[in-house]
Amino acid sequence: MNRVMIVILAAAVPIAALFLLYWPDYAGKKAETKESAAARSVFLETRVDTDAFARATEPGAIEIPADRGPHEDYQTEWWYYTGNLSSEEGRRFGYQLTFFRRALTPPGHHDALSGDNTPSAWRTNQIYLAHFAVSDIDNGRFYHAESFARGAMELAGAAADPYAVWLEDWHATSAGPGVVQLHARTDKATLDLRLKQTLPPILHGDAGLSAKGPDPGNASYYYSIVRQETGGTLFIDGREYDVSGLSWKDHEYSTSVLPEDATGWDWFSLQFDDGTALMFFRMRLADGTLEDASSGTFIHSDGTTTPLKKNDWETEITDTWKSPYSGAVYPVGWRIEIGPVDLEITGGALMNAQEMRVSTTYWEGAVAFEGTRKGRPVSAEGYLEMTGYAETMAGRL
Amino acid sequence: MPSRNDISSRRKLSQAPLWRLAWRRMVQRPLQYILMICGVSVGVAMMVSVDVANHSAGRAFGLSVEAVAGRTTHRLSGGPSGIDEALYPRLRKAAADIPAAPVVEDYVNANELGETPLRLLGVDLFAEGPFRDYFPFGEAGMEDGIIRLLTDPRAVALSMELAKRYGLSLGDNITLVYGGREIRAVAAGFLVPTDALQQEALEGILFCDIATAQEMLGMHGRLSRIDLIAQDKGDLAAVKAILPVGVTLETAEAQSNALRQMTAAFELNLTALSLLAMVVGMFLIYNAVSFSVVQRRKLFGILRCLGATGGQLFSLVLVEAAVVGFVGALFGLGLGVFLGRFMVGLVTQTINDLYFVLSVREFAVPAATLAKGLIVGTGASVLAALAPAAEAMATTPQHTLTRSSLEESSRRTLPGATVAGGGLSLAGFLLLMMPGESLAIAFSGLFALLFGMAMLTPAITVGLIQLASPLTAHCFGILGRMASRGIVRNLSRTAVAIAALMIAVSVIVGVSVMIGSFRATVSGWLDNTFQADIFLSPPSLSAGRVQESLNPEVIQLAAGFPGVRQAVTARQVRITEPEMSRMIDMVAVDGDVSDGSRPYRFVDGERDTLWDRFLAGEGVMISEALFHRKNMNLPPGPISLMTDKGPRRFPVLAIYYNYTSDAGSIMMGRSLYRAKWDDPRITSVALFIDDDRDIGNTVEELQKTLRGRQDVLIQSSRSLRTAALEVFDRTFTITAALQLLATVVAFIGVLSALMSLQLERTRELGVLRATGMTTGQMWRLTFLETGIIGAVAGLLALPVGWVLAWMLIHVINVMSFGWSMEMTASPGLFAEAFAVSLAAALLAGIYPAYRLSGMNIPEAIRQE
Repeated sequence: MNRVMIVILAAAVPIAALFLLYWPDYAGKKAETKESAAARSVFLETRVDTDAFARATEPGAIEIPADRGPHEDYQTEWWYYTGNLSSEEGRRFGYQLTFFRRALTPPGHHDALSGDNTPSAWRTNQIYLAHFAVSDIDNGRFYHAESFARGAMELAGAAADPYAVWLEDWHATSAGPGVVQLHARTDKATLDLRLKQTLPPILHGDAGLSAKGPDPGNASYYYSIVRQETGGTLFIDGREYDVSGLSWKDHEYSTSVLPEDATGWDWFSLQFDDGTALMFFRMRLADGTLEDASSGTFIHSDGTTTPLKKNDWETEITDTWKSPYSGAVYPVGWRIEIGPVDLEITGGALMNAQEMRVSTTYWEGAVAFEGTRKGRPVSAEGYLEMTGYAETMAGRL
Repeated sequence: MPSRNDISSRRKLSQAPLWRLAWRRMVQRPLQYILMICGVSVGVAMMVSVDVANHSAGRAFGLSVEAVAGRTTHRLSGGPSGIDEALYPRLRKAAADIPAAPVVEDYVNANELGETPLRLLGVDLFAEGPFRDYFPFGEAGMEDGIIRLLTDPRAVALSMELAKRYGLSLGDNITLVYGGREIRAVAAGFLVPTDALQQEALEGILFCDIATAQEMLGMHGRLSRIDLIAQDKGDLAAVKAILPVGVTLETAEAQSNALRQMTAAFELNLTALSLLAMVVGMFLIYNAVSFSVVQRRKLFGILRCLGATGGQLFSLVLVEAAVVGFVGALFGLGLGVFLGRFMVGLVTQTINDLYFVLSVREFAVPAATLAKGLIVGTGASVLAALAPAAEAMATTPQHTLTRSSLEESSRRTLPGATVAGGGLSLAGFLLLMMPGESLAIAFSGLFALLFGMAMLTPAITVGLIQLASPLTAHCFGILGRMASRGIVRNLSRTAVAIAALMIAVSVIVGVSVMIGSFRATVSGWLDNTFQADIFLSPPSLSAGRVQESLNPEVIQLAAGFPGVRQAVTARQVRITEPEMSRMIDMVAVDGDVSDGSRPYRFVDGERDTLWDRFLAGEGVMISEALFHRKNMNLPPGPISLMTDKGPRRFPVLAIYYNYTSDAGSIMMGRSLYRAKWDDPRITSVALFIDDDRDIGNTVEELQKTLRGRQDVLIQSSRSLRTAALEVFDRTFTITAALQLLATVVAFIGVLSALMSLQLERTRELGVLRATGMTTGQMWRLTFLETGIIGAVAGLLALPVGWVLAWMLIHVINVMSFGWSMEMTASPGLFAEAFAVSLAAALLAGIYPAYRLSGMNIPEAIRQE
């Protein structure tokens, strides 16, 4: 009979062990709490066939106002607002408000679930992202933000007439003939500006067809509205400033504009105190040379233009800045000589720390230059965009 | 060193020899202890299994809530058809500071991913960032994922773990079944969670783009909800300012609580049932321990003579009980965890049938449950052993004498016990009758009543046996007289056995009568209510509720089908009752499926014009459960509901019976519903067929016409009723299982009690055998005694069971579910219960009789 007791006790031991086993398991799970770091993900690869998109090939194709709106058949499009502002007491600011559009699939690609299934209103292959930045030059502070939305459900989109481009509450909308209202807001900065057009739209390249590489079709449709008289308010750091200055708008749409070996570009937009303006971009190649298609436009005060080719300018880097965040080294000081329009200027970033660290890292900031044109002293303010220093731009945008 | 006899250093007798004594006894008479261990085990096992099931369900619910809530603090939700999607872009512009994320979701089944339902969660990836970090933006590989989810209208993403379990690779097809429709989806992405908790949470979810979800679920233009993150209330002012009527702003917590509390009563009921088993188990322990004390009276007397203190004996008995209880509880834990696996399935099924979709993938055994099982098992043993231990303590050396003094004392305490039992019963009854909503109080009352009845058992037993003794004497002669006297004489033992058996049988009677009455009521209700001949509805994940809607084409076709006299449409929705902030089920109808034969608990005004007034939109009808839930008085005042146009009050025209929802339900005329809610959908159609048509043929013709359509289920009213009763039976599977376990516990109790009783009388029977009693006579005597015990217990169990059933039906059920039912009990059921009691007692007599028949008579007599 003694055996019976032994059997009972022997059976009790594994049960007790079972009990103890469960205990740490449960306690351990509980202890992990909710510090759930982001899940990692594995996805099916998506190959986007760029051949199925429309391409920019025709000089003179741009028609205003019809082409102010979106061109969804092209893979990429952007509406770029930059400007240099100052408050009544002379405090200087720069701003950037850009809306990007990207088609995820070629036109007509996306099918609904089945024949009789109507697509959801949220279904779109168009996505928008917007970048907003304010440079508080005198304080050396740089505020920047990025926002995404799909081009559906009125969440983001663009329209030609009346002109509008928006992403949620950030927008550039027509407020009368030649007048555009800009609004953007983050928890730290709010921008409200009225931009008044002073010159007709400037068509870059060959009547608006701006080549980006040697192959035909590797080009964009590109026009600018420069020297827009700007006034409004800027609210940063708990203070509101009445500001005024000049703004520049670029609108560009294309499909696959970068040559394979391009690593990035330096893009200048300068507005001179003599009523003229200058745009030129240097497309850098992996071997350190510039792409032959790099080009520019000099805009005279009457709105007439002088197209510029790669060999029309000489540039020299006079200063660099290494970003403490990304480690990228940006050329922030420049000497520029443009023979055909007899222009020689030096200058650079109004402040170094104007690096946009969003889904793509690039430098976009307010600059100022001084020098001479036709022997007469000129000064300029404007914006400089430098990409491909922190990461290669090949395959992006 | 002082000598042992030194008075100044006299010590108490060491406890060690006592332990050795106890151990030897356990070894020598293990059967008694094994039975005790069994009793405790089964009791603990029931408690643990129910606890585990409740906990697993709760945990699954919590995880599913957490997984989809993420960092959500508040939610915007709308009526039955969700929110107009246009609210979201407006919100993004007007309250851009507050992170907001639109969600479109519902439960689907995936053929390739097992049987359990999955939540298809459609989100806007661009809004997700602050809420749920399952889709890390800006990380390598994510861009492809986002493009895929956005552009491939079949793309879904799921957790890697889930995919692995079902052998799914990237690019594989997944067939989703929703409302009977099959939808082809593609596994476009796997999410690899970074911790175990996230992994569990992700396992029940299929992610997709919000557009995909709208298309797959047919929810074009609507959102299930909008999630918000707001730190303080001030932030929400901008949201509130643009909130259209009918859209409510709630904290995420409040919303999930509203859902969760639907099952609270159900879970409490389960717990109470499991405790009932523990109570029966306690009786058994009490019985076994007190018997072991009685058996050792002589031994204890000797020990007292040798210097053992009463306290030492007291602690000896208690520790013995505690050890047995602990070992039993350990077994109980193992058994409970084992049973829990089945119980989880049953509980989940019921929750899915009656309340909401819940998929329990993880079987969770919380440490707290195990600890509770150990403590309750051991504690119950100790508690049950208290009285016998006190008895052991009171053993005085000279009391060793005879059994008679004990029986005398126990008979002396009989009036006291009877009065106490009466008092306890009365207290229990009063507790049960107490107005209010506390189920816990009602259950305490129920337990008190049962205990009281158990304490009344000895007195009633004596009375009954004395009443019946002429009869037994007449039938069985001298043996009959001996048997009945034997029981009364050994009342301290027999009464406990009778009480245990009585309680067990009465629980069987009570629960059976309750289930039987319930079933009869529901069956009658189904017959009355579903008078229409054919029912069309979409196939649904949940047996009790249908959330999907019928295709309008089907409705048109069915209504115009040849032979259809009348078509009644119904829209089933779940809406918020703002006063209680609870979810209730509502059905909007354009006719009476009962064709006028539905019974009402209350009708305001003329009964004949009720439906005319109702369909004209003069008011609504509420179910009895809702009437109880809201503690309303007759005549009921108006009820307020959250409509798409904001909260509105509706007069109550009638109270009807409805056994499909214990949360309460509301019936509304379709025109009124359409006026207040923007929801044109229809859930089901009931068809009345011309009298000269055959229903079976019409169903066949309809099926032929609708062949190939998987989104509609055609049922005759008969098959509908059968299906409904199936759900009912399924719901009570748990109850039946628990009842069975309680019977097992009781049987073990009776077995051990009777066995001990008989074995204890070895000497007495030895004397009888020596004086000429034959083995056959002894067998008969044993069976007579156990038979009388079984008969008395069975007899007592019938009224107690009836009272229990009455309480369950009229108090507990009304309180927990709000359902009233007619109590129906067939005499057959009582006869059956009586037979069970008798059979159990007779069975328990076999072993002792067998043992005694082989006894060595001289040795039995020589005992002293």
